[in-house]
Amino acid sequence: MADLMRKLSLNGRLALTAFVLGFLALFAGTPYHGADATINTKELSLTMAADADQVGVTTLADWIIQGKSNFRVVDVRHATAYAEYHIPPAENIPVAGLGQSSLLHNEKIVLYADDGVRAAQAWMLLKAKGFKGVYILRGGLDAWKDSVLFPRIPGNPTPAQAVEFARAREVSRFFGGTPQALAGDSTAARQVAMPKLTMPASPTAGAPKKKKKEGC
Amino acid sequence: MMAPFYKFGLFGDNIGLVVAFLVGIGFGFFLERAGFGSSRKLAAQFYFTDLTVFKVMFTAIVTAMLGVYYLSVFGFMDLSLVYLTPTFLAPQVVGGLILGAGFVVGGYCPGTACVGIATGRIDALVLFIGIFVGIFGFSEFFPLVSGFYNATPMGQLTLPQVTRLPYGLLVFAVVLMALGGFAGAEWVEKRMAARQAEA
Repeated sequence: MADLMRKLSLNGRLALTAFVLGFLALFAGTPYHGADATINTKELSLTMAADADQVGVTTLADWIIQGKSNFRVVDVRHATAYAEYHIPPAENIPVAGLGQSSLLHNEKIVLYADDGVRAAQAWMLLKAKGFKGVYILRGGLDAWKDSVLFPRIPGNPTPAQAVEFARAREVSRFFGGTPQALAGDSTAARQVAMPKLTMPASPTAGAPKKKKKEGC
Repeated sequence: MMAPFYKFGLFGDNIGLVVAFLVGIGFGFFLERAGFGSSRKLAAQFYFTDLTVFKVMFTAIVTAMLGVYYLSVFGFMDLSLVYLTPTFLAPQVVGGLILGAGFVVGGYCPGTACVGIATGRIDALVLFIGIFVGIFGFSEFFPLVSGFYNATPMGQLTLPQVTRLPYGLLVFAVVLMALGGFAGAEWVEKRMAARQAEA
């Protein structure tokens, strides 16, 4: 073998190496490591400690309004709950279906359920399966209703607050919610009946998105 | 290219750009070493007198394929993290033909034009300006072509998915195809050289 290698030209040696490696590939099996998942505890704990595992509801609302298309919102609740109400661009993938979903490892994925717990479980599953950009919607749908759809807006804001409140009002209307005007300050008991949730006409009918390509 | 390191949090977005810069410099260096700074050499490809481009590119494909395959088989990297450009069949066929036509006329592809500029070639500079004129025109007229731009989406495809053949078999098949291609390319080059000598 060594003798043969010496006789060949450099090109011949490279060709032979490629041939041998290619031939061995016939028996080496698949490079994808199937359904088994691994948890990198260090990576996960660091992500959690840095708060890099969550996205706030107002941030998500901003992304949707700005028409960003570099993320996917995933509703991990049951289909019935999803049909009742969901955040406009969200798609429904119940936890049991996460394994066979069409989500891609490099996508930015925002998960939510009613509160944080179910979404956090889904987050852990996806992380263990090697998904990189997975985030939990902080506070889930409850927080979405509280802060985006039905923000409580005190009746006597300071000028600084007024700008913020005007903005919250606009955001709320965009998603078909109603801002809750409160007399006096916001510590007043909040017993506003939750208005019936209806799906607004989808504001984000996104065309299929393309990522930047790597060229020659 | 940076996926395995990026994934393990060895560096973030900013360092990623630095790494990309270094990888780009390396890419340019090896293009220049292969002689791809010269438009004559690149254009000769299309007249079958010098198939270096074909050979270098196929060598890169085979090297990368074997490297990625064995690193994944041995568990050093996660192949599912590597980004794949989604297939949009019709627009990519048309885009490829346009790029190819530009390649024959201008003698450079975008990457090699940068390499040509680095060694001070005027034709590469002109082509590079042309690229930006093209980008500008495309962006301005994008609404007109956006329907076609997003036509025939097929998702992120790989050969094993399309052919439903075992991964290892396809690796071997691509290696054989490359080796056959190299032998064929040498044969074509010799014949063309002989024909030119006659003329």
